[in-house]
Amino acid sequence: MHSLGTLEETILLLVLAMNEDAYGFSVSEAYREHMGKTISISAVHTVLSRLEKKGLISSQLGGATSERGGRRKRIFTVTGVGEQALAEIKASRQKLWSRIPRLS
Amino acid sequence: MNKPQPPRWASRFLDWFCDEALLEEIQGDLEEAFYHRYQSLGPQQARQQYITDVFTFFKPYAFEKYSRVKQFVPMLDHRIKIALRNILHHKRFTFINAVGLIVGVSAIVLISLYLNYEYTFDKMVPKYERTYRLVNHYRDQVYTCMKFPGYYNSEGDDQMNLLRHLKNYPAVEKACHFVPTQTAIGGGGRFFANLDEQQFELENILFTNTGTDLHDLFPQRFLLGDPGDALADYSSLILSESLSERWFGEDWAKRRILGKEVRIMDEPFIIKAVVEDAPANSHFDFELILLQKDIPSWAAYTYIQLDEKNDIEQFMQQLNADVDLFYPGYTEDVLSKGIQAVSLADIHFTDDMLYEIKEVANKNYLSTFAIVALIILLIIWTNYTNLSVAMYADRQREIGMRKVLGARSQDVAGQLLLEAVALALLCLPFILTLTSFALPAFNELMGSKIPTGQLFSISSLLLLTLLLMLTGLISGLYPALVYSWRKTLHLFGQGAEKRLVSRYFNFRNGLITLQFFLVVGLLSMTYFIYQQMQFIQQRDLGFTKEDVLYFEIDGAEKYEQLKTQLGAIPEVQAVGAGGVPGSDMYNQLTYKMKDTEVTLSDGTQQYIGLDAVRTLALDCPACEKLEAGKERIFVINRTAAEKLAKIKGVAPEELIGDILVTEPEWENEEYGYGVHETIDGIIDDYKYFSLKYPNQSLLISIYRQSPWVYEMMVRANTQDWSETIKDVKSAYSSVETERPFVPNFLEDRLNQLYESEARSGKLLAILGIIAIVLAMMGLAGVVAFLAYRRQKEIGIRKVLGASVGSILLRFQQEFGLLLLLAVVLAIPISLLLASRWLTGFAYHIQPQIWVVLGAGLAVLILVVIVISVQAHRAASRPPMEVLRVNG
Repeated sequence: MHSLGTLEETILLLVLAMNEDAYGFSVSEAYREHMGKTISISAVHTVLSRLEKKGLISSQLGGATSERGGRRKRIFTVTGVGEQALAEIKASRQKLWSRIPRLS
Repeated sequence: MNKPQPPRWASRFLDWFCDEALLEEIQGDLEEAFYHRYQSLGPQQARQQYITDVFTFFKPYAFEKYSRVKQFVPMLDHRIKIALRNILHHKRFTFINAVGLIVGVSAIVLISLYLNYEYTFDKMVPKYERTYRLVNHYRDQVYTCMKFPGYYNSEGDDQMNLLRHLKNYPAVEKACHFVPTQTAIGGGGRFFANLDEQQFELENILFTNTGTDLHDLFPQRFLLGDPGDALADYSSLILSESLSERWFGEDWAKRRILGKEVRIMDEPFIIKAVVEDAPANSHFDFELILLQKDIPSWAAYTYIQLDEKNDIEQFMQQLNADVDLFYPGYTEDVLSKGIQAVSLADIHFTDDMLYEIKEVANKNYLSTFAIVALIILLIIWTNYTNLSVAMYADRQREIGMRKVLGARSQDVAGQLLLEAVALALLCLPFILTLTSFALPAFNELMGSKIPTGQLFSISSLLLLTLLLMLTGLISGLYPALVYSWRKTLHLFGQGAEKRLVSRYFNFRNGLITLQFFLVVGLLSMTYFIYQQMQFIQQRDLGFTKEDVLYFEIDGAEKYEQLKTQLGAIPEVQAVGAGGVPGSDMYNQLTYKMKDTEVTLSDGTQQYIGLDAVRTLALDCPACEKLEAGKERIFVINRTAAEKLAKIKGVAPEELIGDILVTEPEWENEEYGYGVHETIDGIIDDYKYFSLKYPNQSLLISIYRQSPWVYEMMVRANTQDWSETIKDVKSAYSSVETERPFVPNFLEDRLNQLYESEARSGKLLAILGIIAIVLAMMGLAGVVAFLAYRRQKEIGIRKVLGASVGSILLRFQQEFGLLLLLAVVLAIPISLLLASRWLTGFAYHIQPQIWVVLGAGLAVLILVVIVISVQAHRAASRPPMEVLRVNG
């Protein structure tokens, strides 16, 4: 079981949600949109590279646009391990939630 | 509409620090963010945030070096492999390069060792900076030794008068004096030492009566015996290591040699200790130290060591103020001009003083060697650069390939530099081998004693490695820069041929001209020195120097006996006492004509026998008076006569019969003042001293029978000198039993006067040859390269009808022009340097311009040969073969 920080978990979820369109800038935008606070691109990059090192996401280069001055993006996708890790987290959370009677 | 751009400098900064693997995505993301913000927030905000973003990336995650460190080791490994492959692949260039580097650097190493040896003279003495020798300025000369109060007639206590006085000063920490026998004041000559019924010859005894002080100031390393015990008593001997080896064999340490009695000059001495030999670069040395109450001399070399707080100049002022306390009457004597101090480290370089112990070094020669070493280094560097350029030209495609595959300029430059450095470092073991083989021969040539161990000391090895790395770096720098910054496409195809600069004024031609210039200059200088040496050797000295043998003899009585015996040897033509020419300058005295006022102070006095005049075949008309029965005559040489006659205002010959007064300041009962001599005649000038000095005024007393004799000459007409010397020796041994027979030829003695010049000339000649060979090797490499690069041009020329000869001529022309330029530059500089060197000789040649031209011509011939050999191959290839090749 991989230990994931909150930020890592959030970004991993975002990458999964963004489906084939997750790269540094878009992730930081999505983060802002969903979480309601800004995050610097460099922070996103650091987290992404950490996740990649842990084998939770993989990346490939592609999709240059003129906005980027013709530079390619590094597109991230969640790997099987990553999805499993997310599922495990979700499951363990749900187990916890289910123990709280007030809300169930 | 133009797309909005983020601030350039920030993006450049990112470019600089960011890892290349991450750069593209990061830059893309930042620019995209910038673009969006530009739309939503406006330009100013967008720019500001862009800058903030860039700086938030300035952290280890994005740093280039972080990712580089990981790759560094395998990359370096790969580069070294490629470097070795290339070195081996270009065998021809590598060989030229390596041989040039090995020979050249070895020469530089030897010169550096020699310079280090000379410049560290006496610096092994502890506190040498505070150690001084006292010297005495008397008349116009400075004596390196301090006289004893009663000269020869001083007892031990009197001899130590000065030292006792010196030690009273609080500033003086230590003081000592000594006299080595192999000096002008030590009497020279050799001694017999009798030990265990055996007889040994002794060459250099160090006499002292202040053993403890000597050891204090110049600490000796005791191998055997105890310093306190050995130095306390008189009549004791302290042997040097090499002498004990000679006397007692290799295993002297195991024998019981302490306490043995040795008889020297019929007096008994006890061996008390054995010390290490004096270092070769010490200004004095000895075979043994002899402690005796009375030093058999009239003066001694005197040294002091000051304590830290005191300044030598202040101390010397004090000492000179007190001088009458230890030299009574010193201040009244107008001829005494004060006591001076020479710092210990300067002794080896002070050449204008009387009676120095060892031959001193000429700083001009040392700096000349340093300059020549630098010239060789320059030639090596230019060669190496030229050859590297040539070598890499072949590899343009390889470099282009690397660049296409993603190598950056600095990667390519790094690779090329690494190769240059690797080749240089590969030469290290060869250089060490060559140098250690050459060192003994070099020592012999230069009269130095540099131990081979010096070469392998940590500091020399370190310096040598640094020098080689520097050589690699400097030589690799130009090609590395040129090739690494060239546009990738130009490295392929036609662009490769594009010249960077003009055809004639380019880097390579500049280097070649510099080499030619250095070589022509060096050749000319070597020839000037050779000419001057020839000039000196062939010059008529005014006496017969051939076939004359000289040796020392103790006293007139033994001389007369030996002379009679030598008369029986048929080959012996003449025998003479005293006046052996070719001595060092010695003390001069004042003289004047009795009837004029002007006193001259440059007189050299000589006492010789009539038979010596005959042996040297001097022209002496006045000597008839001796044959007519006069016991002694007084003559002056023409130089003295002309000086005196000019003062008096008469012709020199008119001085004959007049009275000359020597040492007029000396008051005495016999003459009132000075010594009065009637001039009996004038003798033609003959070169009694080195030709470095102008003719000296000689005041010569010629005796029918010499009253005192310490050296004599034998002239013989013989086919077999070794036989004759044997005969002379057996005659000598029957007369003299206390001193060994040490014969030498007069011609050798005269040559020895110019030994340091001759040595320097030889060394320069050798270095000159090395420089020429290196330069020619470099040239050969360059021509081979050019011929290779121009093979198509040559092919086309041949197709169009050019002959091999005309193609060769084109090559010659180009280098001929460079050589011409070099010669034009070399003429004034060589002539200037030569005439400066020649001012050291009173008698010298005039440096001629044709020597430089001749040197240029010699180099030209070599150049033509080298070019013809190298380019001929290219020029004689069938043109189609060349033109068919694609490229």
